[in-house]
Amino acid sequence: MALRDQLRVMVVDDMSTSRGLITNALDSFGIRNVASAADGPSALQKMATSPVHLVISDYNMPGMDGLQLLHSLRSNGATRGVGFLLITGRADREIIDMGKRLGMNNFLKKPFEPAGLRGAIEAIVGKL
Amino acid sequence: MSDPMAEIRASFFIECEELLESLQDGLQMMDDGSTDSETINIVFRAVHSIKGGAGAFGLDDLVQFAHRFETAMDEVRSGNFHPDSEAIRLFFTCADILGDLVRAARDDTPPPNDQIAPVLEKLDLLVGVEEEEDEDLDFTPMTLSLDLGDTPPLGLDDAGALADLPPLTFDTPVGKGFIISFKPENALYSSGNEPLYLFRALRDLGDLSVRCDISGLPALASIDPNCGYLSWALTLVTEEPEQAVREVFEFVDGLCALSISPLTDDNSALPAPEPEVTYPEPDVIPEIETKAAEAPVTQPEPAQTAPAQSAKSTGAPTQPRATVRVDLERIDRLVNLVGELVINQAMLSQSVVETGLPPNSPVSTGLEEFLQLTRDIQESVMMIRAQPIKSLFQRMGRIVREASASVNKEVKFHTDGETTEVDKTVIERLADPLTHMIRNAVDHGFETTEDRIASGKPSAGIVTLSAQHRSGRIVIEISDDGAGIDRERVKAKALEKGLIPEDAQLSDGDIDNLLFLPGFSTASEISNLSGRGVGMDVVKSAIQALGGRISISSQQGKGTTFSISLPLTLAVLDGMVVQVAGETLVVPLNAILETLTLTDQDLRQLGPETHVVQIRGGFVPLLDLGAELGYREPETSYVGATVLLIGQEDGNRAALAVDAIEDQRQVVIKGLEGSYGRVPGIAAATILGDGQIALILDPTDLVTQASGRTRVRAFPKALAG
Repeated sequence: MALRDQLRVMVVDDMSTSRGLITNALDSFGIRNVASAADGPSALQKMATSPVHLVISDYNMPGMDGLQLLHSLRSNGATRGVGFLLITGRADREIIDMGKRLGMNNFLKKPFEPAGLRGAIEAIVGKL
Repeated sequence: MSDPMAEIRASFFIECEELLESLQDGLQMMDDGSTDSETINIVFRAVHSIKGGAGAFGLDDLVQFAHRFETAMDEVRSGNFHPDSEAIRLFFTCADILGDLVRAARDDTPPPNDQIAPVLEKLDLLVGVEEEEDEDLDFTPMTLSLDLGDTPPLGLDDAGALADLPPLTFDTPVGKGFIISFKPENALYSSGNEPLYLFRALRDLGDLSVRCDISGLPALASIDPNCGYLSWALTLVTEEPEQAVREVFEFVDGLCALSISPLTDDNSALPAPEPEVTYPEPDVIPEIETKAAEAPVTQPEPAQTAPAQSAKSTGAPTQPRATVRVDLERIDRLVNLVGELVINQAMLSQSVVETGLPPNSPVSTGLEEFLQLTRDIQESVMMIRAQPIKSLFQRMGRIVREASASVNKEVKFHTDGETTEVDKTVIERLADPLTHMIRNAVDHGFETTEDRIASGKPSAGIVTLSAQHRSGRIVIEISDDGAGIDRERVKAKALEKGLIPEDAQLSDGDIDNLLFLPGFSTASEISNLSGRGVGMDVVKSAIQALGGRISISSQQGKGTTFSISLPLTLAVLDGMVVQVAGETLVVPLNAILETLTLTDQDLRQLGPETHVVQIRGGFVPLLDLGAELGYREPETSYVGATVLLIGQEDGNRAALAVDAIEDQRQVVIKGLEGSYGRVPGIAAATILGDGQIALILDPTDLVTQASGRTRVRAFPKALAG
């Protein structure tokens, strides 16, 4: 069984367009176990009942931003080992450095092509 | 299935409209003086999100402009630039252009390039040119070893396979532990933080013992669920440096009272409990922890636990509720079906009555419930179609800004009742008439700034757009605090154009209504704004086509108010079924003030054809409905006749004589205009329970036409308000 059949992904973005784009790209890679949430708290809630291997999250979201979500994930024993890919519109050094310190696995700058997303995921989990 | 990308693209443009709306909201709040960081964030995030989505679809024009706008907002956000009202006006213009670009991309029309360049220039002057720094960010992805094999995905208690992230390393000196006192403020909870996670993170650093201080907890009755009352004393035995402990609290910095002191031999025992707290149970903590561990992620819900604080204080829009996007066509089909259901139900009721079943028979009572359900369904369906009028009002804000700029007047725009829900079709079809009226108000309604100051008014004029529900209708008012209608000039203009006879005796209201005559224009020089071509007559017929009415009131020197009254829905109405000359007609119930039977004392005759009815001391003109509609000649006497007292928006009343009142019921409106054009006095038609077709009256139209005809026969149209 290929990795892509096993991998469970959570997509977090406040814009439904972005969730659609990411989900659509994942679908084209053959990743079908994809859940999505419009904000960090509801993503955490969903992951509590159905855990995932990889979280793909937007940075700029109202309420809880992507790094705060990462912080929450890393603070919780059950989710602290989950893979985390941050998608940002502005790849500020500050954001990346903070992400590094919090244990971000990879980041991707918007806008991205599906191939770029694939590469960013494979850099974390290996060949899909 | 259609192309998923095309679908996502379509939904992007819908989402853009929502973002543009919150952008306007945010800017409006800034304009109203809010310097709150969340307000600025709303604006920034809206622009940022539009840019992000546009990038994915290769909408370069949109991306470029959004990027510049975003950069400017970023300057505001980071506190490098404090916008004054002029800057905020420029941001409003940017938001307008952003909206234009979104629509240009959506409709594949050319972008408004001629507007963009000067705005960008101003933006540069204001916040400085951004140096495009595409810095090379070195980041080595962290690989995750996923030993998936054929094992199912990890459960909550089975995080082992994922738990081998490289540890975070720090190079500050190492101590043997810390005593931490931690008291969260309410804001810590409302921003979605959970102390439990912090403690778990601390536990990961070493040996942690926790003591919860519940002395601050008030009696149950006085607990505010939005407040936190607990504080904690923690002892952490660890080799990690203090820096690592501070890291844990990094995200709650400023949201709690926190002290971290190194663990010494003196205090290495468990932190002494606060002296005044004496709780016998020593072991509160483990219990709390196990409970929380069962449901680990129930707490972080900022949207629900603390909307009062964040939303109310900043005036920020509350979190959107979950929504589903549905094709309008499907809703319309549903509306139509429900309409048919109403007709069908009426027919069924009628047949039950005809079978002579007693009113308490199971069939009759069942039918009664059916009737109630039908009404409920109908209301719910109508609610699906309804949406807040806010989006329309926001578009008008732009019209005011552009219009006032082009005629060089300072005009402020106020809105009221923007959450009023109105049928979607009505909202769409109101856009053009409202745009025109707003332009008119700015262009003709206001004096020049000098004149305003001379007459003691504030230099900035105010246009107010308001919406409200009033007795089963929606009333939209556009008012200005301008000069009011110059009636002398209006009358002179009408005379000059041959619209009224030389000797016409006109009341103030009559003169005001001349504005609605086709081709009427008072601007001595046609400005480049209101322009020629579209006049208030077009506005009026657009409103009438929606089943609405428009009226005008003006006070010299004080201002003018246009009032539009619209039906709540275009699909059904509550009507009174009446008989006139053998015809069945429906009169909208909301137009009827009361019904009465006339006696000799009630009636006065003013001329051969003119009767009035005396009602509680006032006189109301009497109209014979049969004669008005041409079904028969007027009666010679109306003693004993049944009349409906009709009230109009302008406060005028009239009594409609009918032969008999049959029933009161809900009818489905079937438009006539598509087949017959507009018929004076008739609003639409309907199908009654017995299958008969009945006309629905437009009483106000009928009354104004009739009064115009009797009073000033020379120009009936002028008064058809």
